[in-house]
Amino acid sequence: MAREFQRGHKAKISDLTAGTDLYIGVQISGPGLGFDISCFGLDAGEQLSDDRYFIFYNQPKSPEEAIQQLGTQAGDTESFRVTLDRIPAQIQKLSFTATIDGAGQMSQIAPGYVRIVAGGEEVARYAFTGAEFSTERAVMLADFYLKDVWRFAAVGQGFDGGLDALLKNFGGEVAEEQQAAPEQPAAAPGFAPPAGPAPGFAPPVATGPPAPPQPAPAFGAPPAPAPAPVHAAPTMVAPMTTPPPQAPPQAPPGQPPFGQVPPPQAPPGQVPGQMPGQPPFGQPAYGQPAPGPAPYGQPVPGQPMPGQGMPGQPAFGQPAFGQPPQAPHAGQVPQTPGAGLAAAMQKYRELPTGQRWTQQNPKLMRADLSQAGGQPVLARQGSMVLYQGKVEFGYKGAGFTGRVVGNMTGQEMQLMRCTGRGQVFFAEEAAYLHPIELQGDAICVSAENVLAFDESLQHEVRRIEGHGIPGGALFTMQFQGTGTVVVKTHGTPVVLPVTPTTYADSNAIVAWSAASQVVLSSQVRLRRNAYPGHSGETVNLQFRGAPGNFIIVQPYEV
Amino acid sequence: MDQSMISGYAPAPVTARMENHGSSMLKVAMQSGQDLFARTGSMVAYEGFVQYEPNPPAVRQMASQWLTGEGAPIMKCSGDGLLYLADYGADVVCVYLNNEALSVNGSNLLAFDAHLQWGVERVKGLAKFAGQGLFNVGISGTGWVAITSRGTPVVVDCGRGEDETYVDPDALVAWSSGLKTKAKRSFKASALIGRGSGEAFQIGFSGQGFVVVQPSEDSTDRLRVRG
Repeated sequence: MAREFQRGHKAKISDLTAGTDLYIGVQISGPGLGFDISCFGLDAGEQLSDDRYFIFYNQPKSPEEAIQQLGTQAGDTESFRVTLDRIPAQIQKLSFTATIDGAGQMSQIAPGYVRIVAGGEEVARYAFTGAEFSTERAVMLADFYLKDVWRFAAVGQGFDGGLDALLKNFGGEVAEEQQAAPEQPAAAPGFAPPAGPAPGFAPPVATGPPAPPQPAPAFGAPPAPAPAPVHAAPTMVAPMTTPPPQAPPQAPPGQPPFGQVPPPQAPPGQVPGQMPGQPPFGQPAYGQPAPGPAPYGQPVPGQPMPGQGMPGQPAFGQPAFGQPPQAPHAGQVPQTPGAGLAAAMQKYRELPTGQRWTQQNPKLMRADLSQAGGQPVLARQGSMVLYQGKVEFGYKGAGFTGRVVGNMTGQEMQLMRCTGRGQVFFAEEAAYLHPIELQGDAICVSAENVLAFDESLQHEVRRIEGHGIPGGALFTMQFQGTGTVVVKTHGTPVVLPVTPTTYADSNAIVAWSAASQVVLSSQVRLRRNAYPGHSGETVNLQFRGAPGNFIIVQPYEV
Repeated sequence: MDQSMISGYAPAPVTARMENHGSSMLKVAMQSGQDLFARTGSMVAYEGFVQYEPNPPAVRQMASQWLTGEGAPIMKCSGDGLLYLADYGADVVCVYLNNEALSVNGSNLLAFDAHLQWGVERVKGLAKFAGQGLFNVGISGTGWVAITSRGTPVVVDCGRGEDETYVDPDALVAWSSGLKTKAKRSFKASALIGRGSGEAFQIGFSGQGFVVVQPSEDSTDRLRVRG
C-alpha cells in the first residue's frame, strides 16, 4: 500500500517499488486558482543546465522521453511519467514544482498530494495542505534525486516568486530563452496565464527574450495577449493540461480572440497602484462609469510586472467593473472574454481515441468498441449518454445467470449489450467511475456498483445472504479473466488492505479483490448484531484474506 | 475566530463578466445597463445593489412555450454588484459567445446576458418522448452564457465520423446551433417490452459542430422542482 510521506521525508525509490517506470501524479487545486505544474531536470549543481529538461506544458517531454508530462488524469491535476533508467547521467535531480497561474497564494490551496504509482499501484504519497504555506506563489513539491540510487524526497517548500523566480533559482543561464516563456505566465498572474502561454508559445517566436513578452500583455499588443483574457485563460488551460499535441492547433483559433483582449489586460498593470484593499466594486464599478481607455493604457508599460501575485489581483477587480459602465460596453466587455465558444469548450473536449477504455473525466468513461477485437461491452441499462458510429444496443436478458436483484429497491439490474463499431460514453448519476483492468485475476463488485464491463470477462452473480441486509441479500458480481470492469462510486472511495480486522458496511462496500488463484479467497462473513438494537450499523461484512487483498468502500451508504 | 480554514474560499478578484467560483458557483459582475437573465431561484448570494424581477413581461412572451406555461422560470437581474448563482451543486461552465450561437437544454441554462438574442425552441420530433418535454433555448449574439452540467461535461465533435452522433436526451446539455437533429430509437421493439426508459430513444446529430453531454441522466430541473 502507499507509503505516506511527510514534508522532509526521503526514501529510496527501490524501497518503494522495484519498478523504474513511474507515474507521478500531482493533485493541487484551489478555488479560482490555476496551476502550472512542471518538472525541472537538474544537473549535479542543481542547475537547469539543459533547458530541454524543463518539462512543462509547452515542452511535454525530454529528448529521450525519459520524462513525459501526461496531463490531467485519474484524479490528478497533472501527471508525469518518469523512466528512471533512461534518464541521462547528467541529470541528477528532478524537481516537481507547482506555480499559481494568476492571482492567489499557496495558502489558499485545497488539500493536495504528490503520489508515485508503479505497476498500477500507488506506492508513495505525500499529502499537503494550504495551511503549510503562506503567501508563496510557487512550491517545490517533491524531488527525485540521484545519490547512489534514485531517491524520492517530499519537499513542500514554498517559493515567493512565480515560475520565473523558480527558473532563476535553478539556473541563470537558461534565463534568456526559457524565462521568456515561463515568464509570461508569471507576468500574467492576474489573468489566466495558461491561456496566455498557449497562444504565445505556439509561435516559437514569442519565446524571444524575456522583455518582449512582458510588455506585450501590458499593452495589449496583439501578439502576446495571451495571458490576458482572463477568462479565456482558464478555459485554455485545459488544452495544455491535456494532450500536448492539441495545444498547437488550438492556439491559432485562440489567438484572434486574444488579440482583442489586450486592453483588459492592461488593468493588471494598473492594479499595482490602486491596490487591493478596495472592494472590487469600489471605485471603478459603481462610481465612475467611464474609466475610459485611459486606465488601460497607463498601467502597462513600465511596470515591473506583476510577477508577484498581489498587485495583479486588485487590478482585475477594477477592470471588470469599470468596463461595463462604459457605454461601449458591448464592445469592451466582450473583449475581456476574448475566447469564444470554442475556447470555452476546449477543456471539455473529447480525449483522443486509441484505447478501448478511456476515462474522459472522473465521471465519464468512453469505450471504443472497435478496439480489442471488437468484442461487445455489457453495460447497465440506461448508462449510455452518447455514442458515435454504428452501435447496436441489445437487451441482455435473463440468460444472465438468473437475475440480479438490486438489494435496496428490489429492481432488477439489467444489462444491455453494446455491439458494433464506434465509441460509446457511459456515465450514471454523475458517479465517479473507475476502470479496473483484470489480467487473469478476479474481483467481486457489488452489483449496484457495476457500470460496464468487457464481455470477455467471465462474470457470475453471487448472493450474500444475511439478516438485516436491506432486500435480504447483497448481490455481487464476480469478474474473472482479462478485460476491464468499470466500477462506479458515489464520492471518492477508499481502498483498504484486508487485515484480520477489516469490516465494511454492506451498503457502502463497492468491491473486493477475489485474490488471484483462489476463487474467492477472501471469505465474507456476516457479522450481525454487533450492537443489538442499534438501528444503523447492525450489518457489517468482515473480510479475511491473505495480505495483498483489498476492499473498496465508498462514502455513501445505499 | 480562526478563519484560516475558510480563507481560501474568498472570492477571487473579478476578471470578467462571468466567472466560476469553484466548479459549481457562478459569479457575475453586474453592471447597470447590463441586465442578466437567470434561472429563477438560482441566486445564492449577492453583493451590492441588485434587483430581481421574476417573470418579466419581455420574457413571458418568449418563454410562453416553455413547459406548461406556469410562467417562465427566468428572472431578470439588474443593478451593480456581484451576483452568485448556483444550481444545486451542478458544475457551471461559462461560455463567451463571440457572435456565435448555442442551443442549451432548458434545465441546463443558468444565466445569460440580456442583450443576447434568444428564443425557446422545441426539439423536432422529440418533445413527446422525454417526459419533461425537451425544450431548448437557442442563444446567439455576443455575450456571456452560463450553463450547468451534473458532473464534468464532455464536448464531442460531430463532424468527425461518417456516422451521426447519438445522445441520450436526458444527458444532453447543449449543442452548437447548426447541427441537424433527429429522433432515433435504437432498441428493437421486442427489447422495449417490460422496460421503461432504457436507451430507447436518442437524439441524433449530424453536421459540423459539437455536442455537450453531462455524465448523468438526471435531467430533473431542480430549480423548478423546488419551486
